Amino acid sequence: MRFTAAILAVGALGAATASAQEPIRIGAMYPLTGGGAVYGVPAMAGHQLAIEEINARGGVMGRKLVSVERDDKMNPAAASSTMKELITKDKVHIVVGGLASSVGLAMSEVAKQEKVVYIATIPKTIQMTTDKLHRHVFRTASHTDFEGDTMAMLVGKHKLTKLCQLQLDYAYGNDLEAGVLKALPKYAPNAKVALTLKPKLGATDFNPFIPQVMAAGCDGVVSGLWGPHFVSWVKQAKPLGFFDKIKWISGGEIASHEIAGELKDDYPDNVISNTYELWYHAQDASHKAFQEALAKKLGTPETPQWALLGYIGVHYAVAAMEKAKSTDSDAIAGALEGLTIKSPVGTLTIDPKTHQANIGQFWGPMVKKPGRAYRMMDPIEYIQPK
Amino acid sequence: MPRRSYLIASAVVVLLLALLPLAGSRHAVDLTTEVMIYALFALSLNVLVGYTGNVSFGHAAYFAIGGYTCAILLTTHGWPLVLAMPAAVLLAGLVAGVVGFFCVRLTQIYFAMLTLAFAMLVWGVAFKWKEVTGGDDGLTGVKLPAMLANHVNYFYFTLVSVAIAIAALWVICHSAFGLTLVAVRENNVRAGFIGVDTRRMRWAAFTVAGAFGGLAGALFGMYHRGMYIENAFWTESAQVLIMVLLGGLYSFVGPIIGAAVLHLLQVFTNQYTPYWPTVLGLILLVIVLVLPDGLVGLVNRFKGRGRRS
Amino acid sequence: MTTTMFTLNAFYGLALAMNMFIIASGLNLIFGVLRVINFAHGMFYMFGAYIIFTVTKSWGAPFFVGVLASAAGLAVIALVIERLLLRHLYGKEHLMQLLFTFAVVLLMSDAAKMIWGTDQYSVGYPAGLGGAVNLGFVVLPQYQLFLCVVGPLIAIAMWLLVDKTRAGRIVRAATQDREMLAALGVNVPMVYAAVFTIGSALAGVGGALAAPRVALVPGMDATIINECFIIVIIGGLGHMWGSFVGALAFGFVVQFGTVWAPNWQDVLPYLLMLAVLIVRPWGLFGQPESGR
Repeated sequence: MRFTAAILAVGALGAATASAQEPIRIGAMYPLTGGGAVYGVPAMAGHQLAIEEINARGGVMGRKLVSVERDDKMNPAAASSTMKELITKDKVHIVVGGLASSVGLAMSEVAKQEKVVYIATIPKTIQMTTDKLHRHVFRTASHTDFEGDTMAMLVGKHKLTKLCQLQLDYAYGNDLEAGVLKALPKYAPNAKVALTLKPKLGATDFNPFIPQVMAAGCDGVVSGLWGPHFVSWVKQAKPLGFFDKIKWISGGEIASHEIAGELKDDYPDNVISNTYELWYHAQDASHKAFQEALAKKLGTPETPQWALLGYIGVHYAVAAMEKAKSTDSDAIAGALEGLTIKSPVGTLTIDPKTHQANIGQFWGPMVKKPGRAYRMMDPIEYIQPK
Repeated sequence: MPRRSYLIASAVVVLLLALLPLAGSRHAVDLTTEVMIYALFALSLNVLVGYTGNVSFGHAAYFAIGGYTCAILLTTHGWPLVLAMPAAVLLAGLVAGVVGFFCVRLTQIYFAMLTLAFAMLVWGVAFKWKEVTGGDDGLTGVKLPAMLANHVNYFYFTLVSVAIAIAALWVICHSAFGLTLVAVRENNVRAGFIGVDTRRMRWAAFTVAGAFGGLAGALFGMYHRGMYIENAFWTESAQVLIMVLLGGLYSFVGPIIGAAVLHLLQVFTNQYTPYWPTVLGLILLVIVLVLPDGLVGLVNRFKGRGRRS
Repeated sequence: MTTTMFTLNAFYGLALAMNMFIIASGLNLIFGVLRVINFAHGMFYMFGAYIIFTVTKSWGAPFFVGVLASAAGLAVIALVIERLLLRHLYGKEHLMQLLFTFAVVLLMSDAAKMIWGTDQYSVGYPAGLGGAVNLGFVVLPQYQLFLCVVGPLIAIAMWLLVDKTRAGRIVRAATQDREMLAALGVNVPMVYAAVFTIGSALAGVGGALAAPRVALVPGMDATIINECFIIVIIGGLGHMWGSFVGALAFGFVVQFGTVWAPNWQDVLPYLLMLAVLIVRPWGLFGQPESGR
């Protein structure tokens, strides 16, 4: 009898607890396999760190935050199906992530159809916050207009006049080119683009392009060649002394430690670029705290930049839910508009009209440091859109 | 005329599918829609691979043409569905006809590689013709007729379209035309001796495969409300070929089973682990080593029919 | 285009061709003898690059030891795959071997992820080959010069092996008539194993030699496999010198095509293959096959 009563009591308590403590589910999609894994895996790690931290401090509105994670496979149609699955089967309240622009746009479309908020943490396509903008999509990553603007500013700052534009021939590269060209008259009215070359996305052999740039006699290169493209270019161009007399200004995040730490002595001179994060530089105490937590999670102090983006996405999602005091999508969307949060790299605000957060990046030249095998950025300037 | 038991079995399957939405799971309905589309895609390829014996590495081209055409006509030009969809199928069939004309002059691996070359050209066009296709950003926001905007309605629309298409393919594959294709597959030279214009037969098979592939593509683009260049890339062609091989290319229903199994495996492994390639790879490995005739071979073993030569 | 530019581009085209030939020759060998469409060949190339990374960067060994390590590593992997698994599929439907190699690609991609993680890596040039040679009117990178020497050396070595040795005669016979060969008392399974192993080792060597010039990232296997198939097909299946010429055509078309028609970069290899197959349906040196 007592035993039955105990069972009933536990059951009732459990039921009461369950209904009050139904977890908040956040869906996360990043590429975890294939070519995008270089970025997606660290981004997911940053995402997970944020989840752990939030749950450690009591969750969201007293409820546990549960992360439902999936590989987006860098395939828009597959990502579209997977996101629908997250919404209809796993019943997530909000979705974050994406990497490739096409995937981001596909996910945005699902968000629009299913009326669930999607925060794009990495995709940079300008379309997402312009012609494809709708109520339920937001972006906390940077975008090509801003990167182009900063690059043009650097062209002016370094008084470069004859430019070679080197962009990958796909949406991001073309958008970045447009961003640079738009901003050049403002910062460097005397600068002219003497040569524009567009290697294909995924190119591994840059020999058709390197001699052309060297022969053009430019004093500066503006480029969006990112990751493996930049590394391959460097390996192939360095034997020819390519970087000796030319300034390479890049919006492709090649100042990140992932690149510098890997190229080590091979990293060339005269490179000025950007990155979302530098593990060896903290803006303030909270930034340092984030870096230490991430270093502990990944088992190394030399953490990749993409983790920051995954981290910020979660914090924005949670901040919006707490402001709206609800998990209803429309309420979350309303809360996100104009929402300001404190991120490790400073205060971020989402523009209510464009749904774009004013996230900045660290920009600066990459120089050799005594006692270090890899180059570091110095001086470091955090440049943020207004 | 198909056997009575087959007709009854098909009717039962269609009936069960029609009742699926009543179970109330949105996800199950979506998943089944996807499986049906891939099943049609795989069946269309099998006209070429299983029946005619010509492996194509570029079948995604016609899938993509069908998908993009339908999506573009619906969205950019505001055509009604009743015109856009047939136009998509027609264009896919037409391009398949042109490409096939050149490809059938080759055989075996050379044929396969030429189909790949043409398919990658289609991909290149989709990539670069940004103003029309959206390029690598994709063509998102495809406008569906209001009636199809609901997932259950779209499910029924797909069910009806795919069922009709499969019935048509059945008739084609079991007609004199289909049997002649098998003859061409089994012994090209001998078929020629008995008066079959093997080249023309293979060309016709290529075109039929392309047209039905285009239909699958149109359904796909509308379902996803978007078409992407990844769906024209050789990896998409490889995937549908794997579906055909997995199911068993010497039976009519093999590709349907292969499509269902592969797609469901991909979805479920992704739900469970980021190491889904390992799980999927192991399962495929076991299947291929234990069932070299594909999954249909398993069914045949139970039926005691043994391996069809 | 100036003489300097033309020479430079021709040279680069040649270097690219030689790198591709080394990888493609392995595929040609496997395909020619075993008739196996080895989808995993690109993955073998990738493993070759990753192995030399580990051997040179993590273990500090010299570059050429790394190349040997890649060859040996891939030889072992290939031998295990062939003896344990692939040989069960020889008598079966040919296309199932394609499905099998597809499964191998999936497994090896996750294995690479587990062993090396998802970071991108970089391998340095071997000592003494990281600079450039100044010929007055043109400056050529040393490493590419090295590739232009190694490529033909491997081609000649393979030709001698296949044409002049008894082992080579056996391999050629295996291409023609497997059953007769077995009837003559040759251990055909061993021939198959050897061919698969050597062909895959070549992919590993190709990957190791490509490593100093490219970034090592997951996904680097994907384009290579297509390009190799194109080269093998252009040359004519099973024909070694065909692959050599095919690689040369590939190298020059891609190099000059990228300079002169950059909008077509993505599809240049496919256009080349199209052009060749329309004119010569069995590749440049291939023969129509008897029967099926």
